[in-house]
Amino acid sequence: MKMSDDMSDLDRMLHAARAGRDDLPEALAQRMLADAAGVQASLARPAARPAAVAQDAWRGLLAALGGWRGMGGLATACAAGVWIGVAPPEFLPDPAQLVLGLESETETLGFYDLADFISEEG
Amino acid sequence: MDGRASTDGPAQAAGPADEALLALFAQGDPRAARLLTERLGPRAFSVALRVLGNRAEAEDVAQEAMLRLWRTAPDWQAGRARVSTWLYRVVLNLCLDRKRRAKAVDLDAVPEPPDTAPPALEVLQQAARVDALQAALMHLPDRQRQAVVLRHIEELSNPEIAEIMGIGVEAVESLTARGKRALAGHLAGQRAALGYEDER
Repeated sequence: MKMSDDMSDLDRMLHAARAGRDDLPEALAQRMLADAAGVQASLARPAARPAAVAQDAWRGLLAALGGWRGMGGLATACAAGVWIGVAPPEFLPDPAQLVLGLESETETLGFYDLADFISEEG
Repeated sequence: MDGRASTDGPAQAAGPADEALLALFAQGDPRAARLLTERLGPRAFSVALRVLGNRAEAEDVAQEAMLRLWRTAPDWQAGRARVSTWLYRVVLNLCLDRKRRAKAVDLDAVPEPPDTAPPALEVLQQAARVDALQAALMHLPDRQRQAVVLRHIEELSNPEIAEIMGIGVEAVESLTARGKRALAGHLAGQRAALGYEDER
């Protein structure tokens, strides 16, 4: 038997195999289409995006603080607190003395007095 | 179903390109899903069947490959690759995964048409030849079998096979040539049984 005969037979077998390559079992085709429909349905209702989730969280916080009016009051109070801390009005007690009164034990330990530092700098 | 009517590439004859259909699918067009299934489903199944040699497993692989195609549709980048090339690559990877998981190959599960009527001798002989070819294919190393199936059954070009398999064109030529010689060797003793002696 010649190699060319074998190749010729093989070519005919490959030709026969090609004849059946377009067959798709109907049940398999239906399963593929069902998968496609499922994916299309999930694409039609996309999951909440992270940005949208974050936006919802901020809206919730804003509502809990009383809306924009509440947020405005809160911001004003914060700004006033910072300003009072930086430049306290005359009628307010010296915070250093308040601290000294509360932490008198520090003297017994031999530490420097906080009021000395403040008075030297001021 | 006729899977060869219209596909991406030179064979594109009628209807929108696979890539355009994929975009329509992502927009929710159900007709696009049907057309893509008709075009690409048979290809996925055919390659899986020839590479795995097991009908049930080939159906699972083809369905999984198509499911991955549906899922990737919204993110498909135009011009990245031909849809059919991408699908062949997914099918071959899924086949390799299966073969790695189960080394033993069930040759008995290769095509058995559920036809109850007594088929004509010619049809029987044709089926016997395809079965013999499949059995011989299963003796080839995985890469040789993939290359032979893509070249001689799917009739893809060597450059496309090279792209699918991630190798050079020369390597494809070498794989298909060696594969074909090995197939001929496996089938050499079966000429009489397959009716080739009578045809000469």
